[in-house]
Amino acid sequence: MPDIFADFSPEEPVRIPLLDSFLELPVIIQIAVIFIFISSASIVFIQVRIWFTRYKGHRMQKRLAVLLPLIDNLISEHIILRNDVMNNSVHADNADLDIDAFRLREFRKKGNKQILIDRLISYRKGFSGSTGALLRRLYLELDLDKVSFKKMKRSQWNTKVRGIRELTDMDISISDVNILPLTNSKRNELRSEARNAYIKLSKNEPFKFFDISTEPLLKWDQIELFKTITTTENIALPSFARWVTYSSNKSIVSFCLKLIVHYNQIDAGPAVVKLLDNKDHVLRAEAINCLGKLKYEEVEQQLLHIYSNQPLNCQLEILKAIGRMETRHSVLFLKQEFLYSTDFDIRKNAARSLVRNAPKALIEELMASSSEDGQLILKHSMNPLIKY
Amino acid sequence: MAGIGHWITTFYESTVFVYGTVLLVIYALLGLFSYLAIRNFLRKETYTNYFDLLTSPLSPGISVLAPAYNEGLSIIMNVQSLLTLNYPTFEIVLINDGSTDNSMEQLISQFELVAVDFAYNPKIKTQPINHIYKSTNPAFGKLTVIDKVNGKSKADAVNAGINIASFNYFVCTDVDCILDKNALLKLVKPVLEEQSKRVIATGATLRIANSCEIDNGVIIRMKPPRNLLARFQEMEYIRAFVLGKMGWSFINCVPNVSGGLGLFDKEIAIKAGGYDQQSFGEDMELMVRMCRYACDNDIDYAIRYIPETLCWTEGPVTVKIFKLQRTRWARGLAQLMYAHFKMLFNPKYGRAGMITFPYNFLFELLAPIVELTGILYYIYLILTGGVNYTFAILLLAFVYSYSVMITTMAILWDQLAFRHYKSWREVVYLCSTALLEFLCYHPLIVIFSLRGYYYFLTGKKHSWGNMQRQGFGQKKKT
Repeated sequence: MPDIFADFSPEEPVRIPLLDSFLELPVIIQIAVIFIFISSASIVFIQVRIWFTRYKGHRMQKRLAVLLPLIDNLISEHIILRNDVMNNSVHADNADLDIDAFRLREFRKKGNKQILIDRLISYRKGFSGSTGALLRRLYLELDLDKVSFKKMKRSQWNTKVRGIRELTDMDISISDVNILPLTNSKRNELRSEARNAYIKLSKNEPFKFFDISTEPLLKWDQIELFKTITTTENIALPSFARWVTYSSNKSIVSFCLKLIVHYNQIDAGPAVVKLLDNKDHVLRAEAINCLGKLKYEEVEQQLLHIYSNQPLNCQLEILKAIGRMETRHSVLFLKQEFLYSTDFDIRKNAARSLVRNAPKALIEELMASSSEDGQLILKHSMNPLIKY
Repeated sequence: MAGIGHWITTFYESTVFVYGTVLLVIYALLGLFSYLAIRNFLRKETYTNYFDLLTSPLSPGISVLAPAYNEGLSIIMNVQSLLTLNYPTFEIVLINDGSTDNSMEQLISQFELVAVDFAYNPKIKTQPINHIYKSTNPAFGKLTVIDKVNGKSKADAVNAGINIASFNYFVCTDVDCILDKNALLKLVKPVLEEQSKRVIATGATLRIANSCEIDNGVIIRMKPPRNLLARFQEMEYIRAFVLGKMGWSFINCVPNVSGGLGLFDKEIAIKAGGYDQQSFGEDMELMVRMCRYACDNDIDYAIRYIPETLCWTEGPVTVKIFKLQRTRWARGLAQLMYAHFKMLFNPKYGRAGMITFPYNFLFELLAPIVELTGILYYIYLILTGGVNYTFAILLLAFVYSYSVMITTMAILWDQLAFRHYKSWREVVYLCSTALLEFLCYHPLIVIFSLRGYYYFLTGKKHSWGNMQRQGFGQKKKT
């Protein structure tokens, strides 16, 4: 047997010619060579990743193509097309529901279970009454609420949001202990979702979080909350003047002003008037806007009184508010602002309010006596084709 | 003498080495930042219900400004497309910038327009307005058309639009661009969800519309352009918007909101002086002035970008037109740097002065010049026998593979977020274009940029002109 280790000496390291020549290169070139390999490998990896991403998307579409018709058929057969449910002759809690028909092997997988949840939610949004209630019962009896609650307990904010959204859409109550702290979360998206959920799900005091909110209500949150409040059935509406008076959170006050206008809560007028002394001119302008839209005539004289001390945005709101109130008491004031102000926006808003309030004869008189610019502003304000 | 020569070459080589290394590191960081920004965006997007915004009385109003110059070929279809945007409170202000074709006649007849006495306050000086038109048909109530004297720049036309815009935010677009139906909803969202900063501008990804299937002003199928030059631009746009702008947005250092589509805070834009009529890069110039105004007035501002494609534009398909476009852009950049040189490394301007502006100066403006000097130096070395060809090829291979990697990465980010192209073959087709960019497309960019700088230095006349577009309305569905 030949001695294959005959030439091997433990003192001499193994030499790899390619490595040797690499090590002899200057450091810069060595780095460049390493990066050539890294970049080339990355290009290949990225291409594979693109292909894999698309393949995954394709697989998902195929899965949906199989599962969605299956779910749709089951829901149609066992819930939607049932005569007793369609006629509302049976209460959802008492109706026979073949749960086993939904306990298919296909829905044991986590991903497929999620598809089922999403589909149930989608149907629930489209159906109210007994059908909606039966869909909710199905969700509960399949223990899908546990899946959603589990998501709520996870640490990632996006998973929590998903859990809350599912429970809210299925009208499953969440205890105050779990949801209230989230209404003040530092994470904006989570905070917003929790606030929406609280308004939808809380039966007694849906606006309780207004009392404890220290985090601002962003404009986007306000839009979402506004939608939730104005579309949730049987919501217990409070007098929003409460927060206008007591809340130290400016964004909550601002939002309440919008709700006061929407629900035409005239009783809130005195509370809103107090905001005219607020140091924040933006909030003051919002309060004036609110009073104008409420047509709260009692404040008209006060608005005229404070007018000259206000910044431009508040002055413009006062002019608009007077126009909206349509009392015709301030026509002289509007006329003076229109004729003598040097600010274009003030003249334009005064003209608009004059057109709403002043007698036709006065408008004609102004048209005849004012400058070319003034005439143009009046014509602009009177033209029905021009909205703004 | 030889000592000085050696010192100069060593200094040059070291400078270029540091310059190149910093640029590569910046690209790597942008790759990372853009990934994080896109991930954040997608997570939020999953739970966003734009329907709430669409139906809300609390949505802020938006004025859409669309300047047009001799766009008679497609103007009617494009205005109709703009009028169908999904948003509760908006107006379309079309500015006919003294077109010499029949654009105005077409508009009057198609949209039943009549001249109205429109009072407005010209806060920004522009060329005179001949007439302002409104439609007598309530179906087109959102449309206002300004017919003005040609101002020889897009900036003048948009400024006229800003002067009569009714709302606090305006979206600036080109009338020949195709917008996503939900563009306004998506552009305004970053403004509404900002907690402490004032969002002064929002932008979104732009793509090349060439080869896309378009039906009545709506993109129904996205495809990478068949024309090689247009395909290079598509790839460049993906890299610039999805990787570049998103990366900068992550650290609130967005250098520019594209003129094709951007939402702006009207008050800040007016106070900053509006678009500069003399500038060849008016969109970037306005952005810089808005940042400058915000810093000078202690406004804590932000500029946001979204990775979603909301606007498609027709890319030049001939080198001649492409040359005009890129020369103009380069000249605009040089003008901008010259006009705002004070901002460079000026801590008073925060991130804009310390990051955005230096990046633009060093790696956008100077890059073509550095490349030109590099080529000249290379030629000198070849002539003097100073080139180690093995090392030179290795370094070239390194730069080549790195640039292809960055572009492919941008395409991946785009694919992770939105699967725009129907088949994976189309993605591979686009990725393979990246292999040629270094050799075919990049040299053109360098040459046209240098041409732009030359025009800037010599003050040669160069109008913003007409890009001789085909018009989407003329295309057949394929």
